[in-house]
Formats: sequence, structure tokens, C-alpha cells
Amino acid sequence: MESTIIKSVDYNGYFGDNHVVKNVNIEIPKNNVIAVMGPSGCGKTTFLRGINRMHELIPGATAKGKILLNNEDVMEMHPIFVRLKIGMVFQRPNPFPNLSIYDNVIAGYKLNGIKLPKAEKDKIVEHSLTRVALWKEVKDSLTKKGTFLSGGQQQRLCIARAVAMEPEVLLFDEPTSALDPISTSTVEELFHELKKNYTLIIVTHNMQQAARVSDKTAFFYMGELVEYDDTKKMFTNPSDIRTQNYITGRFS
Amino acid sequence: MTQLENELVSIKEEVVSMWNLVESQLKKARIAMLNFDRDLAREVVLKEKRVNAFELKLDRDCEDIFALYCPVAIDLRFLLAILKINNNLERIGDIAEGISKYIIGSMGDFDHKLFEEAGLIKMFDDSISILADSRIAFEKEDTILARSIFKKDEVLDEINQNAIDRISEAIHGNPLIMKDALYVLSIIRKLERVGDQTKNIAEEIIFYIEAKVLKHNEEATTQN
Amino acid sequence: MANKVKYRIGKSSMFQGLTIVLAFACVIPLIAILIYIIKAGIGKINWNFITNVEKPVGEIGGGIAHALVGSMLVILVASVIAIPIGILCGIFLSENRKSKLAYWSRLSVDILQGVPSIVIGIVAYIWLVKPFGYSAISGSIALAIMMFPIIIRSTEETLKMLPDTLREAGFALGMPFHRVVLKIIVPCGISGILSGVMLSVARIAGETAPLLFTAFGYQFLSVNMTKPMETLPHLIFKYAITPYKDWQDLAWGASCILLIWVLLLNILTKIITRRWKVQL
Repeated sequence: MESTIIKSVDYNGYFGDNHVVKNVNIEIPKNNVIAVMGPSGCGKTTFLRGINRMHELIPGATAKGKILLNNEDVMEMHPIFVRLKIGMVFQRPNPFPNLSIYDNVIAGYKLNGIKLPKAEKDKIVEHSLTRVALWKEVKDSLTKKGTFLSGGQQQRLCIARAVAMEPEVLLFDEPTSALDPISTSTVEELFHELKKNYTLIIVTHNMQQAARVSDKTAFFYMGELVEYDDTKKMFTNPSDIRTQNYITGRFS
Repeated sequence: MTQLENELVSIKEEVVSMWNLVESQLKKARIAMLNFDRDLAREVVLKEKRVNAFELKLDRDCEDIFALYCPVAIDLRFLLAILKINNNLERIGDIAEGISKYIIGSMGDFDHKLFEEAGLIKMFDDSISILADSRIAFEKEDTILARSIFKKDEVLDEINQNAIDRISEAIHGNPLIMKDALYVLSIIRKLERVGDQTKNIAEEIIFYIEAKVLKHNEEATTQN
Repeated sequence: MANKVKYRIGKSSMFQGLTIVLAFACVIPLIAILIYIIKAGIGKINWNFITNVEKPVGEIGGGIAHALVGSMLVILVASVIAIPIGILCGIFLSENRKSKLAYWSRLSVDILQGVPSIVIGIVAYIWLVKPFGYSAISGSIALAIMMFPIIIRSTEETLKMLPDTLREAGFALGMPFHRVVLKIIVPCGISGILSGVMLSVARIAGETAPLLFTAFGYQFLSVNMTKPMETLPHLIFKYAITPYKDWQDLAWGASCILLIWVLLLNILTKIITRRWKVQL
């Protein structure tokens, strides 16, 4: 039996009066890759950002309900502690342009004022870059600025930056939609490696990607969690007619 | 290796396992027939369930790969070929079972002289050998070996065609062996179907490797 | 049809030619001023000139040392007042686009930008000079008020141009707001902020009107901020309107120096902008 790492209980998200995420109840098992898919505006990104309390950074955004990380309610904790345990990677690769590759990887420590001895910093940088299959490519140019890498490499750098904080969960908001197909498949390969050590939740527009990379898939439609099941079952024989219509392309 | 490649490798291993099982079923049926070993025959009948289970699992696994990975090009052809090969192998398994059932149901040992005259032993040996060839052609992606199967199947067809004459001659000579002769004829027919199924398998192998469709193309398959 | 097209092509070339001519027309006055002042003033500059203070008419060897030192001090103090406040205000405006306070703040800054420098000088006079007397610090304060709009606006615009994804990345790493701003946003925008600062300094370096009513003027070298102090623009003004030739010469020399000063500041701004620019 896999243990649950994240459980949402009647989670609701709002933008002002707009009820964008409606009563989501979902249990996410540890060391799995969960894909969250659905048409535009279905609330999947809002839900994802609710998990690490990024949702409330938008003016007028509120949320109700519980999200339990290992049985601790994330909504009750201070957002900073939540974000140290739950990392996030965004759609557009966003390495810090004023920092070198090395500094980008340990940005979570350095910019937070956490001082570490050089040996330990080196270890974290090498370890994180290896985890994202970037170490060999950049180990001789660690002092170069992060923005001189290609799009796919930049995105992997951002993943390394999140991984360096040793979170328990990694959230991905459409991580490959700004990348070319080769970079996309490189990043997708990473997910299989990363899930050994972290739990991954990936919002994606691309349902083939959801099918390829995930163990379980959640389908959101109009703010509701319509279906949540093993990916194999979801794509061979979904239970809900709306899910079937979506994945067969009957509505986008 | 990507996830898809892993899945394809594992499905290939599964198919080869099924292949080995079906080959061993045929071999056992042959020995059971030659030695009139009812116990061995019963073993074959029992093991047939395994063959059917293999077919179902392979069907499901192929379906999953189609759904999850949307394979294209050679991967797509590979999976389509496997679905068909899967089917062919299951039928060969059925044939081995059928032959074994004859042995179980028969009163006593068959007339071995009849075997010689009708060419049954050669047929059994040849059909097992081309089945093994097809497996090797699949494992090694060897289309030349696959094509050689067409020619060898012709030998089986020939034996089958001559079987009726030979057997009626034998019955003429000794009417008491009528029952045995009918069994032998049946077995020859079944083995001819093994040859056909294996030929189909070879066509599928060539399809997936070369994207050439040789099905229903008499010229291409007799031209070796 | 062909004729119409020919006519349009001709019109287009004329228009392009016109824009080039007018561009030159803008550059010509600048070049003319530069040449004239340098010609008139460069001869008057020598070591004596820079290190001596003014002497009464007729005595040889007058200099502008006191004005140089005075200008530098007044500008320095004005910068020290204006820069931190201006940058922080700019940060506030860029991080709070929609709040009511931001709206009124922005409006005030825009209006302040349009207030004539002499009015600012008079206001400083009423607030600081009337109760406390002429002083260099009141001059600095007046100049600081003039610097605000430039620093605030350029800081705000620079930081607004930084993509939100940068801030999000910072927050997602568990950084509190003040660290996101100070460690990510400001360093990424430093080139724009610095250029805003340099521009504001260049702007006030030559301002005379406010100083007329505040720092006033002084004949001797002084570093006392609470007393009147001489500044370059004021000195130029004072000497240029006298009928004495050697004082007029001093004015030319001082103008030349002031010009070079402002020119150098502008060039420095360009260099800083390029050197510190963060490639997004």
C-alpha cells in the first residue's frame, strides 16, 4: 500500500467572487508522478498553485479547505515553510539572470541568507545538477550566467534549483510547453528518475504527455475534479464520459 | 532508454516466452505421439491454458502501449505485428492441444509404418523447425531467415497434398488401419495449418521490419 | 498606376530625408554650445583657477575652489537624501500596481516633476531659510526634491519591466517578500536604477534657481552645511552679470568646467547602463 503524501479535503479556490476550483478531494501517493489535465480554464493550475500557497500571491485570490502534507495542514502553516517542502517549476524557464549557473542552483540557500561552507555548496550543486542530467553538460561552465543555456537546459536548471532545496513534493506547471520536442522528451525522461526521490505533480495541457509520464492522472473540468485514476485505466477505459470526450479530442 | 523502449523490450520478451512455450507444446505433442505417451499428452492439454493466458496478456499490454504512448513508424508496426503473431501462436497452441487430445482419446498406439509412409514424422520435424526459425527471425530481426520460411512451408504443403494419395494407398493395402489412417490424415492437416500460421508470422515480421506487406501476395511469398 | 507609385516612393524618400535633416538640426545646437564654451573657457582653466577662492576685483589669481567644493557637497548631500527614498518609493510603486496609495503616489510624483525649479527653491526658502537662515543643507533639500521624480520614475519603470516569473521563482523558493525584492528584483534592475540616479544627479548639477534662495552664496571655502555655501551655477550667475572682465573670465572657466562635469556624468551613465545590464 502506497502512503499518501498529499491529501486535499474540500479544497476551493476563488479569484474574488469567481469560484474557480470546486470541492477538490484528492489523495496523492508518495513517489508517484501525478498528471493533472484538463481544458483551458478548468482550474488545474489554480489548484496546483494552491498546494504550495502561491495562489494567494495574486491580488484578490482566496482559498478554503484543507491540504494535508503528511497530515499537516498546509493552509495553517506559514507559506514560507510550505514552499521549502514543496518546490515549484514554472512554464517559462526562469533562472535568475544576474546569477551564475552555480549560484542559480543554490539560490534557495544563498538568497535566503543561509550560509553554507563551500564544500557543502559544491556537493549540493553537483548532486542537484546530476539529478537533472545537466552536470556533465555544464560542469565546466558553472560560472557562466544561467541565461546563456538553451531553453531545455534552462528548464532543467530550474528543476535543479528546486531539487537543491530537498523538497518532498515537486510541482510542475506545464513545464515543457515552452520547449522544443527534443528538450521536452529530455525533461520527460527526468520525471522517471525524479520520482524515485520526490513526488511529482504535473499540470499539463498535453494529454499525450500525461499518458506517457504519469502513474495516475487527474482530469479537471470547469473547476471540478471529474476523474482521478491510474493512467492506464484512464486512457484505455475512462469511467466518466467527459473524460472520454476530452481524451478522444471531442472537445479541447 | 525511454519508457516506450522499455515497454517494447519487455513485450518482445513476453512474445518470445510465448513462442518458446508453443514450441515446447508442439515438441511434447510429437514425442507423445511417437511414444504413445498419454501422460505427456495430458500435460500439453493442461499447459494450453498458459498459452491462452499469454494471448490475453499480450493483447492487453499492446492496448496499454497504444493508449499511453501513441507509437508511430516502426514501433507501431512492431505492435501491430505482435498482435497478429500473438494470435497465430495461440492457434498453433490449439493445434498442439488438438493433436494431444487425439492421443488421449485413441485406443492404442498408432501404426508407425503409416507415419513413415505418409511423411508425418518429417512433417512434424519440419513444422517445429520453421516455428523455431520464425522465432529466431523475430528475435534477430532477420528478414532473410523469415523469407526462407516461405520456401520451407512449401515442403509442408507438398506433403499435405500427397498425403491423401499415400494414405488411401495404405488403406487399400490394409483396410484394418482405417481409423489410424484417419487420425494420421487429421494430424497432417493440422500440421499443414501450423505451417500456414508460421508463414503468416513470417509475413508479419517482414511487415514490421521492412514495412512491406506480403500478405495475400502469392508472387512475393513463392519467389524465394 | 505606375505614376501614383512613383509619387509615393518620392514622398517616402523625401520624408526619410527630412527626418535625417531634422536629426542633424537637433545635434547642431549642442555641438555649437560645446564648441563655443570650450573655446571661451578652456583657456581660463589652470591649477590656480581650481584651487583658489575668489578674490576681490582687480586682484589677480581668483579661482573657483570654493564653488567646486560647495557644489560637490550640496549635490552629495542631496543624493544621500534623495536616492534611498527615491529607490524605495520606486520599489513600492512597482510592486503595488493597483493600490490606492500607489495611484496617489504616482500622481504626486508626476505633478512634482512639472513644478518649476524656482518654485521649489522658494518653498524651501519659506520652510527652511526663513526660520533657520541660508544654509547649504536647505539647498540640498531643494535639489533632493527635484531629484525624486526622476529616480522614482526610472526605478519604477525598470522594475516593472522585469517579468513576474522572476518574482514567482523567488517566492517558490520560500523567500520572504523583502528578500525577493532586495536579492532578485533590485539586482536585476540595477542598471536601470543606477542610470536613473545618474541622470538625476546630472540634472541637478546645473540647477541654479533653487540655490538662489537657499544655499545663497559665499566667498570663502566652507564645509559647514548649516551656513551658506557657494556653488558653481550660482558663481557663474554672479560673475557673468558683473562688468569686470576677470570675473567674467572666471564665469567662462566655470561654465566650461560645469559643462564637462555634466558631460562626464552622462557618459558615465551610459557606461554603467551597459556594464550592469542584466540580460533577461
